[in-house]
Amino acid sequence: MNEIKSLEHATLKVPYEVFNKKYRNAQRILDVEARHVGSTATELDTAAKRGDVTAGEIDTLLGGMVEKLTTMKRKASEAINEEVQAANVCKKRLDHLKEQAEALQDPAAAQTSLNQWRKVRLDRMLVDYFLRTGYYDSATKLADAKDLRDLTNVDIYQAAAEVERELTARRTARCLQWCADNKSKLRKLNSTMEFNIRIQEFIELVREERRLEAVRYAKKHFSTYEEGQLRDIQHCMGMLAFPKDTEVEPYRSLLSERRWVSLVAQFRGEHARLLHPARLPPLTVTLQLGLAALNTPYPFLYITWSMSGIHKVCFNESTKVSSCPACAPPLNALARTLPHAHCSHSRLLCRISNEPLNEHNPPMALPNGQVYGEKALKEMMKEHGSITCPKTKEVFCMKRVEKVYVM
Amino acid sequence: MDSCLGVEQDLDKATSKFNALNEHTNKVLEEIISQVEDLKNEISKQPPDSPLTQTQSMILSDLAANVKQTVFQTSTEHRELHATVSRVGKSIDRHFIADYASVAPKAESFSTDANRPIMEQAIAQHLYRQGLEEVGDVFVSEAGLMCVERTCAFALLQRCASALAAGDPEPALAWVQRRAHQLTHSPLPFALHTVQTLKVGREQGVGAAIEYARQQFPAHAARHERQLAAAVCALAWLTPGASNPPPQYQRLLDPRALGSEAAELFVREACALLRLAPLSPLAGAVSAGARVLPALHDIRNKMCQQHVAAAWADDELPLEVELGAEGGGYHSVFACPILRQQASEQNPPMRLLCGHVISRDALNKLAMGVKLKCPYCPMEQSPSEARQIYFS
Repeated sequence: MNEIKSLEHATLKVPYEVFNKKYRNAQRILDVEARHVGSTATELDTAAKRGDVTAGEIDTLLGGMVEKLTTMKRKASEAINEEVQAANVCKKRLDHLKEQAEALQDPAAAQTSLNQWRKVRLDRMLVDYFLRTGYYDSATKLADAKDLRDLTNVDIYQAAAEVERELTARRTARCLQWCADNKSKLRKLNSTMEFNIRIQEFIELVREERRLEAVRYAKKHFSTYEEGQLRDIQHCMGMLAFPKDTEVEPYRSLLSERRWVSLVAQFRGEHARLLHPARLPPLTVTLQLGLAALNTPYPFLYITWSMSGIHKVCFNESTKVSSCPACAPPLNALARTLPHAHCSHSRLLCRISNEPLNEHNPPMALPNGQVYGEKALKEMMKEHGSITCPKTKEVFCMKRVEKVYVM
Repeated sequence: MDSCLGVEQDLDKATSKFNALNEHTNKVLEEIISQVEDLKNEISKQPPDSPLTQTQSMILSDLAANVKQTVFQTSTEHRELHATVSRVGKSIDRHFIADYASVAPKAESFSTDANRPIMEQAIAQHLYRQGLEEVGDVFVSEAGLMCVERTCAFALLQRCASALAAGDPEPALAWVQRRAHQLTHSPLPFALHTVQTLKVGREQGVGAAIEYARQQFPAHAARHERQLAAAVCALAWLTPGASNPPPQYQRLLDPRALGSEAAELFVREACALLRLAPLSPLAGAVSAGARVLPALHDIRNKMCQQHVAAAWADDELPLEVELGAEGGGYHSVFACPILRQQASEQNPPMRLLCGHVISRDALNKLAMGVKLKCPYCPMEQSPSEARQIYFS
């Protein structure tokens, strides 16, 4: 397994879904056009079989047929070209992934290009996270700044951004259109999106005191309800008996303005669910695992970070901002809740020099139990003639420092 | 790599099929159109109200049947590509892991109202650190974040580095010059001068480049003799009309590769100097996470059996993952050599009298009353003589 296999499923799957959609679309266009041409052909056939047909009539019929055929040719070629373009988007992303895969396999490959690729990956993840959280402007800005339009789904999400804007402005037409376009998929996911929009439209009719119309609307749209929706419909109908500023639940919350906000949120969720098989964006997943992998079981490392001084000590005295992502604010607050890394071999660092502790720089324990590297202690000895524990500020001489053997 | 190639194969097949279909459809429709047009021309030559001959009406019937068959054939041919298209999707599903999140059971908690702002704070911090102030501003306002520090020392470095990667070493050189006394042991100044020399050579001619090299290189001659020679030699291929450079000089003569390499060196050295982490917390954590994920997927495949299920304990990842030189190593980690387990507050490292370190739990297990034999050397001692030590 490698990072690409584990992490990049959506990178390819999302443009593939677009490709698939374009394919279906092209098929529909071709079928419709073929039917059109077919009907003119039938007309021509019956006309030719009639005994009394004139050359002029046939001429017009043939003219019509040429016209239909030309339209079909144009439309077919347009549709197929769109398919090829959609496939090319997949291809572009695949090429980008291959770059990294090749570098991963070749140990001699330049670290620079790998690091560069990882930077691009982080940017892609950020764009993806922005899109899925509804920060469309940020996503577009970042994608443009880093020239990532082809590698991210900014363009695919544009329609979603439009629907969200419409919903925020309390217009439902676009969202209903979207529901109709993706009917079969939404049904597979047991989505309640369309139903909730319908209820909202009903509520709006009640709000405007057009109650009779609301009843007609209910007749039209609620009559084919599905399992589990009956209660909601009953609530809706019950609302008809109350004034629009009622304090009685559940009618008050149904009439509340907040329902629009939750509709926007629901749409965003459903849209992402249609596109992405995984529920969480890769950014959160990798961030969580990364923090866990950098996490240590010593609770004081992050619990006491706000109490002055103690936190700093786990690194270098002179570093004000510690460099470990799991310790530095703001992420330390998240790391606290996570599991910590599994580790069966010691991996020690000198807290003074940040160098690894090993046979060249053996760990030494001060009488107070604090362990540092021999090199750093000797240097301190040379400079000051004594050793001051950076943590407790106690002063010792070199004689009292003892070797520590760590297997 | 295999996963990429597998998908690529299917995708290429699909693309080529669609291209072929496009051509084929065009050709077939073209032919049929010209057929119909020919017939139309022929018939239009007759006076409009003359009746058709027997043969003509037969030809017409044939043509109608032909047209019908062709257009339906076209749409059928397109329909037959369905298998090819869906094979691409299946191939993606097979070669990549769709449900990557399943090994991170707690990732869900990052989308809660309490945790999301924290994560987004880190994102904003990251954006500003990268010198993407504009994006950062838009993001902060969209996400409704409060009080994110906008300026930081790192953004300046990042701007120097991105200018460097784009082929302009001036800002980086200025930065280095201000700190020349701290960078005497660093390869950075020489690397930047190399970039600048080659840039001057490209833009102002080799003469100017040699002039520049004469000013700057002597100070670095002792430490970088070979690279210096290579850099000066590389100038030979900058003269107009020079032949293709031999492979060992290609790296020096490709401004993009050289620039991004120097940019990386710049960030690393400057961060070391300023005692900053070269990666933002977000980038550091994400890159560590990306390394953990495949390992977790691997182990999940192996751990589907009942008796290993216990390893998915709640407070520890089930395995050790090597995070690479840059990815990890922020903390000291003491793992008890007896229990093969990380020490914790409840089970801290203990130094035995002889100097060997084991965890307290191991010590308690090994102790026989008031006697304890060190597991690593012959020394016998009392367990109470062991002393707790602190690695962090």
